[in-house]
Amino acid sequence: MADSRVAAVAFAVAAKDLRVEWRTKTAFLSAMVFAVLVLAVLYFARDKTAVGDYALAPGALWVTFTFAGMLGLNRAFLLERENRALDGLRLTPASATGIFLGKILGNLVFLGVVELVSLPLFILFYDVPIWRQLPLLLGVIVLATIGFVAVGTLLSAMVVRTRFSEVMLPVLLLPFLVPPIVSAVQLTWRILALRPLSEMTGWLSLLGSFDIIFFTLSLMLFEAILVE
Amino acid sequence: MDVQPGEAVLLVGGNGAGKTTLLRVMSGLLKPNRGQIECAGAVGMVAHHTMMYDALTARENLAFFARLHGLPKDGREDRLLELLGLSDFASERIVTFSRGMLQRLAIARSLMHEPDVMLFDEPLTGLDDAASHIVLDVIAELEARQAALVIATHQLVELVGVAARVGFMVQGELAAMEPIDGRDAGGVVSRYRELVAADGG
Repeated sequence: MADSRVAAVAFAVAAKDLRVEWRTKTAFLSAMVFAVLVLAVLYFARDKTAVGDYALAPGALWVTFTFAGMLGLNRAFLLERENRALDGLRLTPASATGIFLGKILGNLVFLGVVELVSLPLFILFYDVPIWRQLPLLLGVIVLATIGFVAVGTLLSAMVVRTRFSEVMLPVLLLPFLVPPIVSAVQLTWRILALRPLSEMTGWLSLLGSFDIIFFTLSLMLFEAILVE
Repeated sequence: MDVQPGEAVLLVGGNGAGKTTLLRVMSGLLKPNRGQIECAGAVGMVAHHTMMYDALTARENLAFFARLHGLPKDGREDRLLELLGLSDFASERIVTFSRGMLQRLAIARSLMHEPDVMLFDEPLTGLDDAASHIVLDVIAELEARQAALVIATHQLVELVGVAARVGFMVQGELAAMEPIDGRDAGGVVSRYRELVAADGG
């Protein structure tokens, strides 16, 4: 019964966040413009004879996902600051776990859409034949995104009451993202270079461990962050 | 301080006297530095902010909070919108609402789960006569339904008639809690000034 309440709250919060984003499109449009710009600038700024597609592509992909995603994460709790809606949430019997999972779900869908739209652009710009390796690449994207969203959602909730939350979030979040982003870049490079799976297991383990540890930690800490 | 079912208590005090903080502690939004709060039932709160989302419609906002309360889908959003005179605006995004409409919608949100304890922070601020009457009717109905009410306000002329007792907040402390005993707004203000003077203010 309690689990179904947590799930109901999570779905309600995620649906509300996505509906608000659908209406305003503030974060999505910013993220998409940013993604196109980064992919284009990095593509045109390099000397093609010195830096090949395979050398640049993994970094370009993850820089794009990371910073575009941050725009969405920032928005997730700024929404609750508007009209002090977070107080409204806290006045209900909804559990902190349900609210947090709802925020995670909303952010995962948001970032998933940004990534799905950016990926064809990435393929177009960098001319990398990923079709055969696409399931593996998508798996890495999903794994890295879960860790990114878990930590980012928690930190977004932490900084939302500060005056400069838009600046604070990247400052606090980026150091935490070093392990998953480095892993994701390494894995993407190996996937694009058609390296054997045995060369990837170490990085996959690191990515998976990061997800489990930080998802659990974020879930445990969120309730304390909700209380003023 | 205790408030009984069916009783309304006014909280009176200057800016920064601690009325809003006390209400936030009572609601559970803030933890008290000392002492404890006991509430026999569900709490509803109407504050300065609507605690709702501008991009959603009035009905969507209420439906969202109903789901968080775990309430059944029984059309209560529409009943509350009708009670507060907002039926015609149910499908409009609240970013277009006036201050009075937002205040009434905030009251609808706080009544979704039929609370036993209602906390009002300046419920009549920014409302015209018609909207004030709707809110005063809601307060009277809550009293009749045996809810316990705490109302922080500066608008004593309109609200002194609905309460049985008045609490005077001076510099973060509840300086006195007294029966209204037929006092009008002027009488309450005079008593408040006496307490402030006695406190050295």
